[in-house]
Amino acid sequence: MKTVAAICKRTWRRNWAFARLGILSNIEYRFNFAVDALLQPILTVLVESTLWLALFQLQGSETFAGFTRNQYLSYVIWSSFVARLTTNWMYEFRMINEIESGSLNSLLVRPISFFESYLSQFLGYKLIVTAASLCVPIGVCLIFDFPVFWSRLPLALLTAAFYMFFLYLLSFCVATFAFHLTRITGLSVAKNLTLAVLSGEILPLDLFPPGWHNFLVHLPFASGVYIPVGYLTGRIAIDQVWQAAQVQVVSLAGVACLARFLWRKGLRTYVGTGA
Amino acid sequence: MSNPVLPDGIALSTRGLSRTFRTYQKQPGFWGSLEGFYKRKFEDRVALAATDLTIPSGRIVGLVGANGAGKTTLLKILSGLIYPSSGQAQVLGFTPWERNNAYLRQMSILLGQKNQLWWDISPMDSFRLLADIYDLPKITALGRAEDLARMLDCHHVLKIQLRRLSLGERMKMELIGALLHQPRILFLDEPTIGLDIVAQATIRKFLSAYVADKAPTVILTSHYMDDIASLASQLLLISKGNLVYNGTVEDFTRKSLAKQKIAFTLSEGIPSPWTLSQTVFPTGTQTFQLEAPENEIPALMQAITQRPGLCDLRILEVDFEDVIHHFLTESQGQAQQ
Repeated sequence: MKTVAAICKRTWRRNWAFARLGILSNIEYRFNFAVDALLQPILTVLVESTLWLALFQLQGSETFAGFTRNQYLSYVIWSSFVARLTTNWMYEFRMINEIESGSLNSLLVRPISFFESYLSQFLGYKLIVTAASLCVPIGVCLIFDFPVFWSRLPLALLTAAFYMFFLYLLSFCVATFAFHLTRITGLSVAKNLTLAVLSGEILPLDLFPPGWHNFLVHLPFASGVYIPVGYLTGRIAIDQVWQAAQVQVVSLAGVACLARFLWRKGLRTYVGTGA
Repeated sequence: MSNPVLPDGIALSTRGLSRTFRTYQKQPGFWGSLEGFYKRKFEDRVALAATDLTIPSGRIVGLVGANGAGKTTLLKILSGLIYPSSGQAQVLGFTPWERNNAYLRQMSILLGQKNQLWWDISPMDSFRLLADIYDLPKITALGRAEDLARMLDCHHVLKIQLRRLSLGERMKMELIGALLHQPRILFLDEPTIGLDIVAQATIRKFLSAYVADKAPTVILTSHYMDDIASLASQLLLISKGNLVYNGTVEDFTRKSLAKQKIAFTLSEGIPSPWTLSQTVFPTGTQTFQLEAPENEIPALMQAITQRPGLCDLRILEVDFEDVIHHFLTESQGQAQQ
C-alpha cells in the first residue's frame, strides 16, 4: 500500500512539474499568450457569427433546417470555444519537431516518458488558456441572450475534456510517424482539417444529409464539438451524449493501443540525429 | 534479452555491440531529385562494428576518433537513446535500451551539440523540474545546483532564461543539469565543443574535481586532446566504427610509433653539406626542428651537439594530439589496404 502511495505521489509530482512548465513557458511570452487566449477566440466568434448572420439575411427567414438564428449563433460561439479547448495542433507540431530534430534525446534519457511529459504540459497550457478564454462565450451568450442550457455546461465540458485525451492520443500517433518520415507536417494539417469537418466545428453535423449524419454521429470525432455543443445549445438530448461516450471509451482504448505500438516501433528506428 | 549481472568493479560491458544505419543516397541535381521521388536508393552504413568492451567503475575513459568514427553512436547506445543492430550491453547491470527508470536515475548523458535543459525557462527552473523528475528533495537539489554553479563560476546566470545565455554559460548549465542527480555513470559527448580556452579549462578543472570527489564512471569524447590527456586514465580509440585501441593513455603514448621532435638553435645557418638521417626543417632564421623515431634520437642528439655554434637543444614534449592523429591516420590507411 505504501509503495502504491509512493508511486502515485512521485507520478503526481513529476506530472504537476510538467504542467507547471506548460504554464510557465506560455505565460513567459505575454503578448503571444494574450493573443492566443483572448484575441483569437474573439476573432473566431466574430468571423463565424458574421458568416451565419449573412446566411440568414440572404435566406430571409428566421429558421434554417429547423433551428433559429440565435441557436446557430449560440452553436458557433460555443463550437469555436470547445474546438479550441480540445485542439492540440501546437503540441502536436512540437512533438513532431522533437522527434525530427533529435531533441527527444533529453526526455529519453530521463525517468519520464515522452507521452506523460507532453500530456502534462498540454494540460497545464489548456488549464490557463481555457480559464482565460471561457469568459468569451459565457459573456457573449449572456449579453445577447443566446439559447444556452447552463445546467448542461459541466457535462458538455466533461465530454469535451474526454475528447481532448482522445485527440491527444491521435496527435501522439501522428507524431510517431516522424520516426520514419522526415517531414510530416502535411499529414498533421490534413488530419486537423478532416477533424474540423468530422467533429462539427465547421458545420453542425445535423446539416449533413440523414445518412451521413447518422454515420458521423457514430464516429468518435463527433464528441469533439457536435455532441457537447449540441447538448449545451439544445440540439441534441442526453441519450445521444451517453451513446457518444460509449463510442469514445472504445475509441480511446483502441487509439491508446495503437499509440503504444507505434511508439515502440518508432523507437527502434530512432537515430537521435543532430548530435 | 537476459540481464547477466556485471562482476564487481565493472561499470559497463559490451559483447558484439554494433549499429548499422540505413541512409538515403540522393542523386544530385533536379533530375536526381525527381528520380528520388519515385525510386529511392538506400545504403547500409556501419556506424559501429561489433565491439567488445569492458570498463571498470570509477574511471574516466577518453573515447577518441575522427568525425563519423562511431563515438556518438556508441554513447547513444550505451545511454539507451538508440537500439543496437546486434550485440549485448550491460551498464550498471541494466540493458540500456530497455530504458529502465532505475537505470535512468543512475545515468546521465550530455550531448555537447544539443540542449537538454528547457529553452524558455531559467536554469534554476529547469533544475527544479529535474528535481521533480528524479524525485530529489528540492532543497538538496537546489543546494547542489548552487554549489556546482559556484564551482563553475556561473552562479550569476542561474535565474536568466536559458535562451539568453552564451554558449559557454549554457554548457555549464547543461553540466549542472547532468550532475544534479549524482549519476553513477556519465556520458559526456564533446562537453567543451565551441568553447573558448578559458571556458574549456574551467570545465576541465571542474570535471577533474567532481570526479575526484564523487567517483562516477565517465566516458568522455572530445576533439580537444587536452581534455582527454588531462582527464582520462583509459583511452578508447575508434576508427571507422572499429575499436582500434583500448588501454591507458600513458601506454598509448609510449607504444605509439609517433616520432619525437628535436628543436635546436644555431648561431649561424645550417652548413652544407650536413648529412643527418632525418630532414631538418627551419622554424626561424636560426631555429630548426626535426622529427625522428625514438631509437634514432640518441644518435641525432650526438650529431647535433657536435655542431659548432649550437646555442640551444631540446627534445620537445610529445604532443598527444599528434600521436592520436598519427595513430588514426595509420589505422585508416591499414583499413583501406
